[in-house]
Amino acid sequence: MSDEPEVASETGDGSLADTIGVFAPRGDELRIIAATAAVLALFPYVFARMPVVSDVLQGYQGLTTLILIWGIFALGFDLLLGYTGLLSFGHAAFWGGAAYATGVFSQHVSGSPILMVLAGTVFAVLLAWGLGFLSLRRGGIYFAILTLAFAQMLFYMSSSPLAFITGGENGFTGVETTDLFGMLPLQDDLPFLLGELLGTVMYAFTALLALLSIALAYRILQSPYGMVFRAIRENEQRAEFVGLNVWRYRLMSFILSGLFAGIAGSLFTIHGNYVPLSSLYWTESGEVVIMTVLGGTGSLFGPIIGAGIYLYVENIVSGFDTIGPFWHLILGILFVAVIWAFPRGIWGFFRDVRDYVTGGEDR
Amino acid sequence: MTLLEIDGLVKEFGGLVATDDVNLSIEEGERVSIIGPNGAGKSTLVNLITRRLDPTAGDIRFKGESIVNREPHEVVQMGISKSFQTASIFSDLTVRENAEIAALAAEHGSFGFKFLEHHDSLTGVHAVAEDTLDAVGLLEQADRTATDLPYGDKRRLEIALALAAEPDLLLMDEPTAGMSPEETDATVDLIEEVKRELGLTFVLIEHDMEIVFRISDRIVVLNRGQVIAEGTPEEIKGDSAVQEAYLGGVEL
Repeated sequence: MSDEPEVASETGDGSLADTIGVFAPRGDELRIIAATAAVLALFPYVFARMPVVSDVLQGYQGLTTLILIWGIFALGFDLLLGYTGLLSFGHAAFWGGAAYATGVFSQHVSGSPILMVLAGTVFAVLLAWGLGFLSLRRGGIYFAILTLAFAQMLFYMSSSPLAFITGGENGFTGVETTDLFGMLPLQDDLPFLLGELLGTVMYAFTALLALLSIALAYRILQSPYGMVFRAIRENEQRAEFVGLNVWRYRLMSFILSGLFAGIAGSLFTIHGNYVPLSSLYWTESGEVVIMTVLGGTGSLFGPIIGAGIYLYVENIVSGFDTIGPFWHLILGILFVAVIWAFPRGIWGFFRDVRDYVTGGEDR
Repeated sequence: MTLLEIDGLVKEFGGLVATDDVNLSIEEGERVSIIGPNGAGKSTLVNLITRRLDPTAGDIRFKGESIVNREPHEVVQMGISKSFQTASIFSDLTVRENAEIAALAAEHGSFGFKFLEHHDSLTGVHAVAEDTLDAVGLLEQADRTATDLPYGDKRRLEIALALAAEPDLLLMDEPTAGMSPEETDATVDLIEEVKRELGLTFVLIEHDMEIVFRISDRIVVLNRGQVIAEGTPEEIKGDSAVQEAYLGGVEL
């Protein structure tokens, strides 16, 4: 993805990096983050308010937030599937688990959106640690089934034995979110130009967390972990035999992807002001797999695009009078067509086009 | 100093005894070759030493410490590295990344929490990877994807992965298998160079007698899981048991 990652950092910010420490942006990180910020800033306007374009797309403000939330979820899922090569079929556990934890936290402790995200994410990370520890004992299909089984156990637990906390079949209805920083109601529009561009405070909050998530994921991929994850995917045995503890790196990959699922699940609760029981159901795990593969595994932005397309078909195409009732079928055909034509997903297709145009074979 | 000691090592697969009461010790700085007919248990022995397999009985000690209860990556971290019989590399990564992964494991241990640190700051890793690639003559191809290398170069990269781990003992499982005569020559030169420059102790498993006699200090002959002879290349050439079990009919 990067063109010349080393050049900038080695000539420029050597001493600066030392003072700011390991967190200082290096290589093309600033460029990627700036470009992402620009896209996130324009997205709601283009999708929901821009003349002509938004009419054709029939987009609306609320969906932009939801797309980013699922995008964060899929981004983290891709760390595990696309980079480490592990297919989990139980990520609903972290998404739904964080969603419930956030809701319960808001009711009993604090309704501050920032603290709610923190609480949900910590819960998801701890849960991922536990479930990863148990599931990663086996590889391949057994791992997928184990994660599915654990997630379904949680679904069952929240549907009846723990219904006194979770609300059972009715879902969790007691979410009590307060204003951001104690003064910005999440549903309000931002003032002036910001309102025109971004729309609501909720979108701005979500976009900021999405930007942080992308920066974090990109840094993880540029760290030794990115290299080790791909090495494990390519040749697990060799990774062990160069002296790497494959098991612990896999667990970290699982936990880190749980972290992103936690951020996303928490935001989902704040966005919807409600936690449906279905947020723990296995179909949520399936959806994130489809989004990630559709958008392109092993890429930073592919899964987010996949999430966008999936939700667009689910929420907007499904409302068309003509083809709306067949939206599931449309999604299925789209998925098959994309994977058949471009096995590396939509983002893989973009990359191929770029390589073709520039003639370069930069990885 | 004795680097590796193998004591009464037995490995059974069901009823088959693949390794039968093997005793062996390898001194520091030695080049030992293990030879034997197909099915003699050579690969099993290497797999036991690298902890891919659990022994049925017996003990393996490295630098005086038993390794039979260790994980494979721990054994590598202690200083035993292995190059595989086939080119076992990270195909989709670049040649440089391949070497860096091995160097990372050598420099920063089997696991770390550096997921927030940009890999550009790991200067030690870059240096080791660069030196290793230079040593095996792949530095000019460092930015190619490993899968695009010709077979001989893949095998050299495989050896580079083993070397980047900075081992004290290098186990090489048929390093020239499947190579052309030119590639074989280049690889043997590489092994001799590595021996000279790094002072490595290594154990070579090999079919090619010419190579074995050219680069070994000592030869161990296995047959049906047992050591049937042990000695200098000259002694082995003259050993009648070896002639019968293995070398019969081979023009030396």
